[in-house]
Amino acid sequence: METMKTYLLIAVGLFSMTITVQAQPQPEVAFKNRLLERDLVHYCADCHNANESHGQLDVVSLLKQQPLIRNKQNWLIITDRIRGGEMPPKDAEQPTSVERQKMLSLLADEIENFDYSSIRDPGYEPTRRLSNIEYDNTISDLFGIKLRPSSKFPNDLSGNSGFDNSANTLFLQPQLFERFVHAADEISNLILSNDNSHLHNGLSINLRDGARVTPDPFLETFLSRAFRRPVTAHERDRYRRLFIATYQKTGNRRLAYKKLIDTVLISPQFLFKTEDILNSDDTFRINQFNLANRLSYFLWASMPDKELFELARQNKLSDHAILQKQITRMLLSPKADTIGTIFGGQWLGFEHLGTRIRMDPIDNPWCTDTLMDAMRQETAMLINHAFRENKSATELLLANYTFINEELAKHYRISNVHGQEMRLINLSSPHRGGLLGQGSLMAVTSFPGRTSPIVRGNWVLTTILGTPPPPPPPGAAEFEPRVERRRDLSTAEKLALHREDRRCASCHDQIDPLGVALESFDFFGRHQVRSRGKTIDTRATLPNGSEFEGPAGLKLAIVEEYHEEFVKQLTRKLLSYALGRQLEYYDEPAIQTIYTDMVANDYSLLTLVNGIVDSYPFQYKRLPETEQEPTNE
Amino acid sequence: MNKSWRLTRRTALQGFGASLALPLLECMQDAKGNLYDQPSQARMAFLYFPNGVAEGSWEPERVSGDGRLEQLNKWMKPLERHRKQLLIPRNIWTPRGNGHMAGTATWLTGGEYSGRHVSAGGKSVDQLAADHVGKDTLLNSLQLSVRGEGYFSKSLPRNTISWLDEKTPAAREIEPRIVFDQMFRTTDQFAPDNSVLDLVLEDAKSLQRQLGAIDRDKLEQYLTSIRAIERRLQFAEEQSARAVKNNLLSNRLQRPAPGIPQDHGQYMKLMLDMMVLGFWADATRVSTFMLDHGQSNRYFNFIDGVQGTWHALSHYHDISGETEDDDGQTSWASVEEKRGMYNAVTGWHHEQVAYLLDRLSEISEGDSTLLDNSMIVYGSSLGDGHEHSADNLPVLFAGGSNLNIRPGRYLDYENNTDLNRYYLAMLHRMGVDIDRFGTAEDELSGLT
Repeated sequence: METMKTYLLIAVGLFSMTITVQAQPQPEVAFKNRLLERDLVHYCADCHNANESHGQLDVVSLLKQQPLIRNKQNWLIITDRIRGGEMPPKDAEQPTSVERQKMLSLLADEIENFDYSSIRDPGYEPTRRLSNIEYDNTISDLFGIKLRPSSKFPNDLSGNSGFDNSANTLFLQPQLFERFVHAADEISNLILSNDNSHLHNGLSINLRDGARVTPDPFLETFLSRAFRRPVTAHERDRYRRLFIATYQKTGNRRLAYKKLIDTVLISPQFLFKTEDILNSDDTFRINQFNLANRLSYFLWASMPDKELFELARQNKLSDHAILQKQITRMLLSPKADTIGTIFGGQWLGFEHLGTRIRMDPIDNPWCTDTLMDAMRQETAMLINHAFRENKSATELLLANYTFINEELAKHYRISNVHGQEMRLINLSSPHRGGLLGQGSLMAVTSFPGRTSPIVRGNWVLTTILGTPPPPPPPGAAEFEPRVERRRDLSTAEKLALHREDRRCASCHDQIDPLGVALESFDFFGRHQVRSRGKTIDTRATLPNGSEFEGPAGLKLAIVEEYHEEFVKQLTRKLLSYALGRQLEYYDEPAIQTIYTDMVANDYSLLTLVNGIVDSYPFQYKRLPETEQEPTNE
Repeated sequence: MNKSWRLTRRTALQGFGASLALPLLECMQDAKGNLYDQPSQARMAFLYFPNGVAEGSWEPERVSGDGRLEQLNKWMKPLERHRKQLLIPRNIWTPRGNGHMAGTATWLTGGEYSGRHVSAGGKSVDQLAADHVGKDTLLNSLQLSVRGEGYFSKSLPRNTISWLDEKTPAAREIEPRIVFDQMFRTTDQFAPDNSVLDLVLEDAKSLQRQLGAIDRDKLEQYLTSIRAIERRLQFAEEQSARAVKNNLLSNRLQRPAPGIPQDHGQYMKLMLDMMVLGFWADATRVSTFMLDHGQSNRYFNFIDGVQGTWHALSHYHDISGETEDDDGQTSWASVEEKRGMYNAVTGWHHEQVAYLLDRLSEISEGDSTLLDNSMIVYGSSLGDGHEHSADNLPVLFAGGSNLNIRPGRYLDYENNTDLNRYYLAMLHRMGVDIDRFGTAEDELSGLT
């Protein structure tokens, strides 16, 4: 059966580039749908409809959104509630157990066992402005000077995807636009502060007397680099006219250049990341320059360099071998550090350390900015090392080395590390290496001053494995107060008592062991065996009965039991980051294809990156639906 | 660059330096009489605070038979001096969203929050008003916030109360100097003139041709920004003419130092000063201020006798020190003690609001004060913080006695009275012709 599935997936992968299969509803499917709809409407719609949506759940409109897998999370919660018997509530009409089982099995067909091979949809990557980080990097690469103008911009906030680069949370408000105006002003002043500015990549400006008073040849190169595509003659003429008019008015060539640069930097063509719409079809392959941009904003969080640009111009990025060579080249560039710092930082949440999560520095003088900086770097460097050296995804969990400097070594109680620079060291303790041994991640999954196995367990399930537990059933608190006040019990004992409640156990059987095993890392990631005079109990048992102990045991247990979940989660997150949008159900076939490739290549991270770049949603684009999707959350 | 308003060139540029001891607005107390020979305008402001309050700490101590506020409770003591300017309602709620996340995002929209679609269900009340009155002022509206702290300070729904439309959060300012500069100082160098604006509009048009009907909202945001800049330039010209005539503006205004003050109280007062300044100079008539973001984990240890983070303290029935985000080092002897600290944090925010009301009531506008011409809403999206309750939200209304509101009273409404009905009443007083807002179809009764 397993091989059959794999075979099918490969087959789908092969076809995915050429054939568009439209799912035709079959009579049997339609009948099953009607059956499910009838029962759900009968038992749920009295309280969960458009007018009265208890728990913000409107079953009637959810049923209209076909296929149901579109709203997977809602349906998983509904399944969970029906299965657990919380719904329908006790005072409402109850389905017979046969009916209940029937609903569950029909729901399972639609959700848990949904046949993704029936979908072909690359999704739509919307126009969006550059994120703050992308703006900084793009400016820096455009002028060849390291700048951080966005330090004066309002923060980017993040929504469901968890990444700053998501189109649905990147807004342009008048206040931000005004910051772009000020930034342009400062940048051009800096660029034009010398009489003879030699910017990199052949851009040069000569302000001295005697030179011709036209912006050429600067203009063409600058415009196409700033707009990250070839410019039209019309565009070039517009900007040339601006330059010449300014010069004629002021007689000052510096002012003319300044106005030209300032204007380019507030043009929507610079500020927005846009892609061409090809009118031929609803679904189409994106053009070479758009692909170059997707690539560079994915791997560098910045604009394409000259080489990528040149290859796009020569139409060579469609050559698979050339594309792969470029990916390898790009990963080796220091600019690809953004994979660790931005992708890793936002996926795993360690970018919050030091900025938003920190200890009160007066009460905790050890908690310095440099320590927290080193902690963030440690995790970013682990990720970057693994991608650059083409390690397997598994090594992200099992690495027996880490990156450290003297201050961080002291924090971890590791001796013989001297100096500020971060360097690779091999570890003697099996607990420390890998993502689950990172001080930064242990700190961001703790409450201030205190660990919580529930928070960490939930974080492992949600962030590392991508299998978030459903929200607690109505009325459930984190702990029952009477259990909580039992000071005589250890945390592990309290958790065990809590799991005696059957309703809690269904999820906490999964959550608790993952967190309990990490209890030997304190709230700032220091490893310890005793706390408050007691030995910390880090023994844990997974729902399937397998037992393990401590962080080292947990890592092995995850590799043993949840390896597929981890690799798929990494894939989903990286794809979401690469596309700059939250994933939808129709992205699942791409995930399956990439996963199959990874299995065949020892989970190589280069296979992962290549797989994402080759994927249908990365290479293709579909026009968005024009009608508003009904909202239901 | 004569078009820029450069009243600040000689004076405001001097800045505050490191010393912030002198509250900026002291210099404004001399400002008797109308600044610009204009009729007084209605203003509105919304001050949001997170984490709710302890049950019972919002109810006044004494109310007369006819509903007059005679004495506030001990926790609201900082506001006692403004008692006669307050309306304190009971049993207020928002039907479509409450709590830390959805409640914050929809506090001013009356809609429902969707994380997947990043939608707050509608344009917020302040922006509806700004659409109407904002065209007469330098800034449509002014959105303020303090810098976030703790885990949720990057969460969009917890950090947004003001929405330009159901899907677009208004940008918030967290730095006093930047707010000041928006109102009183435009850049000396690059101010985009018509030739620049025409050119980028051309660029926008070619983008529009390229995209067709798709992503029109993004382009619309760009065009709105361009229009805002154009308007700013036009205003700058008018304002500079006015500023020359007014010694107070040109000689006494001080520009705040860059960055964010270490002292949280000074920081907050400075931000409130910016709001007052905006109202006073008629740079804007609509403002929101998030005194903190939803579910704030900020430490308030700087208040005497308080230990722990705000959100942790809000769960005051748990004193084990091991629930939610208590910091494991602090524990409490009793529920009373923890509740006391929670109330002290709430009370500290009352002090800040009292400061705002001081300032607004010290500025004369004709025969009345700026406060009389302002409608201030101050409240949270949670009732009792421990219970996460959605009913009986802590909210109060201040000012507005020149705007057909009769303050100084306690308003005992029936259960689940819709806050949006008050917003509708405010919108009408701002001159917005609208029949309904969010879930509200009529004005809240008893305001006059």
